[in-house]
Amino acid sequence: MTTTRSVGILATRSVRTIRRLPSAFFPALAMPIFNMVVFAGTFFAVTKIPNFPTDRSINWYMPLGIMMGAAFGGVGLGFTTIRDIETGFYDRLRMSPTSRLSLIIGPLTGTLIRILMMTTLVIVIGIALGARFTGGVLGVLCLYASALGIATMGAGWGLGLAFKFKDMRGAAIMQLSIFLVMFLSSAQVPLDVMTGWLHTVARVNPATNILRLARVGLVNESNADYLSWNAVWGGLVAVVVMSALSLGFALRNLQKLSD
Amino acid sequence: MNNTSNTAPIVAENLSRHFGDVKAVDGINLTVNQGEIFGFLGPNGAGKSTVVRILTTLLGPTGGTARVAGFDVVKQADQVRRNIGVALQEAAIDPLMSGYELLELQAVLYGIAANKMKQRANELLERVGLTAAADRRVSTYSGGMRRRLDLALSLIHQPAVLFLDEPTTGLDPMSRLTLWEEVRRLNREGTTVMLTTQYLEEADQLADRIAIIDHGHIVREGKPSDLKRSVGDPTLLINVSREQNDQAKVVLAAFGDMRPTAEGTLGVGLKGGAERVAEVVRALDEAKILVEHLELNQPSLDDVFADATGYRLEGADSAPQVD
Amino acid sequence: MPLVTASKGPIVRRRSTDTARQFVALSRRSTLAIFRQPALVAPSLIFPLFFAALGASSFSRAISLPGFPKVDSYLQFTLAGTVTQGVLFGSVTGAAALATDIEEGFFDRLLAAPTSRTSILFGRLAGSSVFGGLQALVFLLALLPFGVTVQAGVLGYVSIVLAGFLTAFGVGALMSVIALKTGSAEAVQGTFPILFILLFLSSAFFPRETMSGAYRRVADFNPISYMVEGQRSLSIDGISLTAMTQTLVIPIGIAVLTTLLALRQLSVRLAAR
Repeated sequence: MTTTRSVGILATRSVRTIRRLPSAFFPALAMPIFNMVVFAGTFFAVTKIPNFPTDRSINWYMPLGIMMGAAFGGVGLGFTTIRDIETGFYDRLRMSPTSRLSLIIGPLTGTLIRILMMTTLVIVIGIALGARFTGGVLGVLCLYASALGIATMGAGWGLGLAFKFKDMRGAAIMQLSIFLVMFLSSAQVPLDVMTGWLHTVARVNPATNILRLARVGLVNESNADYLSWNAVWGGLVAVVVMSALSLGFALRNLQKLSD
Repeated sequence: MNNTSNTAPIVAENLSRHFGDVKAVDGINLTVNQGEIFGFLGPNGAGKSTVVRILTTLLGPTGGTARVAGFDVVKQADQVRRNIGVALQEAAIDPLMSGYELLELQAVLYGIAANKMKQRANELLERVGLTAAADRRVSTYSGGMRRRLDLALSLIHQPAVLFLDEPTTGLDPMSRLTLWEEVRRLNREGTTVMLTTQYLEEADQLADRIAIIDHGHIVREGKPSDLKRSVGDPTLLINVSREQNDQAKVVLAAFGDMRPTAEGTLGVGLKGGAERVAEVVRALDEAKILVEHLELNQPSLDDVFADATGYRLEGADSAPQVD
Repeated sequence: MPLVTASKGPIVRRRSTDTARQFVALSRRSTLAIFRQPALVAPSLIFPLFFAALGASSFSRAISLPGFPKVDSYLQFTLAGTVTQGVLFGSVTGAAALATDIEEGFFDRLLAAPTSRTSILFGRLAGSSVFGGLQALVFLLALLPFGVTVQAGVLGYVSIVLAGFLTAFGVGALMSVIALKTGSAEAVQGTFPILFILLFLSSAFFPRETMSGAYRRVADFNPISYMVEGQRSLSIDGISLTAMTQTLVIPIGIAVLTTLLALRQLSVRLAAR
């Protein structure tokens, strides 16, 4: 019972800062929108490459904006945790008799609520700018699922690094690693359009699978990556496995904090 | 005091600086004579630094005039700059540069000829004891080393007037002594020094004359010894239990004026001096007041300050003591 | 009473070369500062190269799309964009350092000395400008082994390096306006996203001819588009008056304009004292 209540109060704290400190939440909303707009605008013509999965560039780059926003939003939890550790607030949390798991699940829940809000906003603006879901409600759900999944991954990774380094060095590693994982994937163009070294790397990068899941409801119905079990399962497995691994990493380093 | 001479190195007349409604400096008059160390004393926010910033051309006055080294600080700012040395609060120095490089830069800024630069820099490094550290980046210097380098920088052009803005704030006692010695030496060599400080002891030790500034006004000015004498009677400090505090106050008031003291302590300016202590003790005893602690203090600059402003200088007690 | 004792006196004298010497000394300081903080400037060298490598693999099939100039590789196309991206991002350091000088009081030290007021500004910007030129050179050399050349030859290489220098100076001056206005290095760093937006809303990564709608119109208005296209033309087509003009005159124009703004802000800051 206390675990549930701890999770609740910690999640509330995380969400409350949106209202208390809207300026801090603003970049988290602006960045995904900005990324979606500039990628779709700059690489507008990329859909004309033969066999490109969609003929609307915003269909391709809206999920990218959301996924990058979700990933960075996730590691952002690590960032605020570093601040809590530095101010000593985190020691107060650790001294409380609540379960260690709730120290992770609570703030994570708060983060996921923010990601839900961000995703919804970007989808609305994306549709206003011409994005069209080809896969209906199921496609929209896949996009939400992948956003929450990658945010969970990011959060676990960010928390783990925060506990491990306890200072801003951790934040630098978070930013850089997420940046690399996101870009060394099918972020900009699909696998069969890219050539050379990137193709080799992106093929084994789990982010590619998760991005495919995010886009299943937005590519052309004739495309192999359109909503089907074949296109979806890889992303789901990646989300579940990577989330479990990263949360395990966070929990292990939280426990090590008292060593 | 030498108020007649307009050629004194620092003359301020009716100097004011208002920031909106805030009167940081409100019509002060000040003369610093040739060859003096002048101590400018006041708590944070009293207007000390504002005066220094005006006199060193960093800030314009909103009223009045000031002449430094014979030049008007507004109309002849450039000449003023050429004739003064300034060591600012916090010793603002670029941590990425070495001590020698900073001296070199300073030499160029003051237009010192290239062929004299090296010699001058080395002389100054020697003088402040930084020769060994000359080529190290300033980020590796200790607080004391930074202040010494700052002093060396301000001396690069052999200024006639030197401004030191809280030169020892935050220094350990040893570094503080070293810096004081150096200031005295410079003064013996003929440099006029204006020194701001929050430390009463520093002013007492170094300054020929001091001025106390409070809320933008100069409230006392003169030689430390004269000022102390002017406060007159020594202060008797007495601690009693809280319940008897008011009762004790009544008894003490008969022996002189009450003086501001730290919370929980009573202070009275004892008329007639030390020989009356016994009387006070008897009077308290008769009133059945239990004295926990008793101390007789000869007037200090702190008393001068308290007498002038009605409160004790914040941090005066916590200032590192040097003996 | 004599103002100073006979034994000593200010050994300062006025010379017309003073300002030049001060400028050189302050420039030297700001240039050394760049090289003494490699961690601060490394990202503006590494990230553009990372994006170039990423683009080379991602967009190798895009170069045959209508609207693209005839190039052998996307890398060849993106050379100018890489240079501009690096220089834009690097140019923030000089202005941020100026703000740090204000924050930490070094600016006051300079003001309390008889320093020429313009040397304080230009001396501080010199370091990041030199770095801008150097960045351009590094990018040109780094992409050389991948067959990316500048068709305009030596003059083309020199012009692009010069453009790097000028752009870093011009953007640095613009950022200095914020540094002088706020006196906060954080505020200067905070404007970084604006540069990011300006860069993306230009033809730095894809030709304007492939864009459409409002986005295209913004890129048409963005001076960065023309600057990049000038360098791109020098690299792909060879030397031409138009390309040279775009490569050099646009950054000069920007630099003149932003310098005026920065000088104005400097005098506002000095007058507010």
